[in-house]
Amino acid sequence: MGDVFTPFNFMLLLIGTIGGLILGATPGLSPTMAVALLIPFTFRLEAAQGLILLGAAYTSTVAGGAVSAILLKIPGAPANIATTLDGHTMAQKGQGAKALQLSFLASAVGGVFGVLLLIFLTPVLAKWALAFGPSHLFWLAILGVTVIGSLDSSSLVKGLLSGCIGLWLATIGFDDIMGAQRFIFHPAVGGGINVIPALIGLFAIPQVITMFAKGRSSSGAEVIVVQKSPIKAAIQEVFSRKRALAIGTAVGSVIGLIPGVGGQIAGLVAYDQSKKFSPESEKFGTGHSEGVIAAEAANNAMVGPSLVPLLTLSIPGSPTAAVLLGGLLIHGIFPGSDLFDNHPDVAWTFINSMLIGQILMCIFGLYVAGLAASVARVPHSVMAAVVLGLAVFGSYSVQNSMGDVYVMASLGVGMYFLERFGFSAAPLVLGLILGPIAEANFIQGSMIANATSSVGSYFFTGPLNLTLIIIVVASIAYSAWMEVRNRRYTSKEEIMQ
Amino acid sequence: MKTWIAGAAMALMTLGTTASADGHGDFPERPIMMMVSYGAGGATDFQARIVTMTAGNEDALGMPVAIINKPGAGGRVGWNWFSSQAESDGYTLGAYNVPHFIAQSIEGGVDYSTDSFEPIANWGADPAVFVVAADSDFNSMADVVDYAKANPGGLTFSGAGLFVGHHIAALQLEKAAGVKLAYIPSNKGGAGAMKSVIAGEVLGGVNNLSDAFRAREAGNVKILGVFDLERNAFMEDVPTMQEQGFDIDNASVNFRGVMVPAGTPQGVIDHLAAVVPTMFENSRVQGKMSAGGSPMHVMNREEVLEMWAARQTTLEELLAGL
Amino acid sequence: MTDLPRNQHIVASGLVAAVGAWVTYISYTQEPAAAFLFPRMISTVFVVLALWTFGKALLGKSQVGNGLSAQAMKNILPGLIVALIYIFWAAKGLGFYTASTITFFILLSLYDPAPHSEGRTWIKRIIITAGFLAVMYGLFAALLNVYTPREIFF
Repeated sequence: MGDVFTPFNFMLLLIGTIGGLILGATPGLSPTMAVALLIPFTFRLEAAQGLILLGAAYTSTVAGGAVSAILLKIPGAPANIATTLDGHTMAQKGQGAKALQLSFLASAVGGVFGVLLLIFLTPVLAKWALAFGPSHLFWLAILGVTVIGSLDSSSLVKGLLSGCIGLWLATIGFDDIMGAQRFIFHPAVGGGINVIPALIGLFAIPQVITMFAKGRSSSGAEVIVVQKSPIKAAIQEVFSRKRALAIGTAVGSVIGLIPGVGGQIAGLVAYDQSKKFSPESEKFGTGHSEGVIAAEAANNAMVGPSLVPLLTLSIPGSPTAAVLLGGLLIHGIFPGSDLFDNHPDVAWTFINSMLIGQILMCIFGLYVAGLAASVARVPHSVMAAVVLGLAVFGSYSVQNSMGDVYVMASLGVGMYFLERFGFSAAPLVLGLILGPIAEANFIQGSMIANATSSVGSYFFTGPLNLTLIIIVVASIAYSAWMEVRNRRYTSKEEIMQ
Repeated sequence: MKTWIAGAAMALMTLGTTASADGHGDFPERPIMMMVSYGAGGATDFQARIVTMTAGNEDALGMPVAIINKPGAGGRVGWNWFSSQAESDGYTLGAYNVPHFIAQSIEGGVDYSTDSFEPIANWGADPAVFVVAADSDFNSMADVVDYAKANPGGLTFSGAGLFVGHHIAALQLEKAAGVKLAYIPSNKGGAGAMKSVIAGEVLGGVNNLSDAFRAREAGNVKILGVFDLERNAFMEDVPTMQEQGFDIDNASVNFRGVMVPAGTPQGVIDHLAAVVPTMFENSRVQGKMSAGGSPMHVMNREEVLEMWAARQTTLEELLAGL
Repeated sequence: MTDLPRNQHIVASGLVAAVGAWVTYISYTQEPAAAFLFPRMISTVFVVLALWTFGKALLGKSQVGNGLSAQAMKNILPGLIVALIYIFWAAKGLGFYTASTITFFILLSLYDPAPHSEGRTWIKRIIITAGFLAVMYGLFAALLNVYTPREIFF
């Protein structure tokens, strides 16, 4: 069953986990880049050892992204966007340590479940992953934008409008299929808008400016305080929020499996669903623990299933899986039946390392939360300067480009002003991430449809298409209804607070 | 502080001298960056990381090479950046894919052409192959072409994008067989195109030999033909297109190698052109490449210059008909 | 809370609507049409939603978002100017680490409530700045090997 527990292998597991947490928490380093950075280290290791390192790093970078999402409101990766919604609000209320503890515990629960699914249900999951063709991926991307548009804004229209702005920003630069240039109004966007710098700018810069806006204030309330929080209480909290934990884990592992789109929206859809099913739904977005638990359980539950297409069909379903494929190939191991038939020791060592990596990640994460608590008070002046510096270095390091830093800053400053008027960053970023997916699948789908049947029947018939369309419409209708209802019962002044 | 070498390199450029003794005597004296115009995890990225892994050795460049990914629009984003914004001091290398960048420059809308770059050396050649799902009714290229003749424009098949090797292969097939096909470009490279074949979204696909080899090992696809002049060592049983009666040459073979922006000092180019091919010949590199199913084909600078020129002519003819 | 937020809402949603109109115009006029098919779809939705928002702002019915108070703008301005100079000029012009150190120190001094007259305040600020620089250098230069622009010093 693989030798994870030899001293050397266990050391690698530790290095992968701790390294992954640090890399994941660094703005600008997505799990994909973090794993790619570790590939050269695996050249000198044996296949199984290299995979221990990569598997552990993958699991913990995904969870590490929550650290900066919660403490700095900079999502480490697109997957952590949903975590900022309640996680950062908790941190602002002084519950940063607790939010971190909850997020790591929920990640571990979701993550272990996801890996168990990978172990026991691989053939079933592989079929499910292939069931999604271009038309379904198109609707799924649209669903992602509408869900977040109705979620993270108190005005449905402005939320959807923010999503549209993001979708438009995604079309800037070369069009992915034809190669035509679109909307290039400045040379810095000639290569299009890179997602990671945009993510950093849209979340971090408004934060910095908000802290500026408080001025040279010295009142006690104006510092970010992270209170110590007993681990036992956090464990009790996580397991008392069974609904959020279950929804997060289930949604994450099912949606995370869908190649291309899944990983980006798993956390978000889980957050949305647990909000709709929660009796305390109005507390979401105000620093509610269920929000953090659902989002983080989902995005770690995704880790195991997201590797199913790679391990069974040899098709990498996500960029990170593609990098892991490279890690396998340099050792002459081909994923697919070859892996389980001829190198079962390697396959199981890899899977076990992810399982144990989840638990180690949780232990170290709880320790990090404790450390964060010991840095008790960070004044706003320091916080603003630190976040600004991290934003600049982080966005530059993605591809060593000053252009990315300019784009990061311009989007960030624009976003600050838009936020003052009810627009929000999360749907905008989702539009930016899902736009290319929606477009490419729309174009491919129409090409296939033109060659075989008609575009209308390709996109609008079939059970999966119809289900997705119904969910899109229902989620918009539900939000519109909630908004109208709330307005009737709440006076205008209260909303304006 | 700008490194001294960059200043010297600039001076050399403006003077246009051929001095090779001074200016780049200690090149390289800091780590080198290599731009890959495809995402992390793609075949080009994966191979680039392997072939540069020994760069830090004393008998190679003596400095490590860091890979920077600038993906987008089938490589256009990265190569545009490389031709217009990369510094031509020898510290910025780029990976090229032929015929991709040449076909894109002929098609237009980009800032580069073969004159924008100076090749250093070639490391790999990955032919395109035609794949169908394992449960497909097609068992030879003749079956595929017969279906296409019966359903003009109705044979859907995937490939990695427009104006890349796979698209060139598709155009050659249309021309040689005299049929109309529905080529569906993927925005997620060879992996995305392969997924749509296995999932049955399309009837077939053009894909990289290395990826198709792996997919066949996993039992997911059948490989019907190779778009090359000879059968490939990785799959001796698969016939070439010419053997099956289609007049198709090796114009779509995906050559991968290293280049620098035009304007890089000649001395630096010479140094790189001498050292880099030996780096590719390194036995550890060769071992890792063949383990990963990536066909190697090392060519020196002169050979690459010839190959680029030849491709330019062929592609101009082929694309003129579009 | 009278007309200031309302006028600000009009300006903000007006700008968004203008961008929407521009995007729609480009999408429907530029060639090749095939490459602008998807932009046409989204820009149509974009411009409809933007005009809706603009209309609501004109009627004074924008209910979400408080706009910006004069005091907040006064507080933001110095920091924003320093940040923009840092990002758009100093980072490349002076080198990343030099510019970051200077900016960090200036921002700290601008927004730190501790009195400027005391020597201890300044020592504290210098120590925090040095600590920040050390962490950034350790993380990006030493650990991740990122080659940032460097002009003066490092």
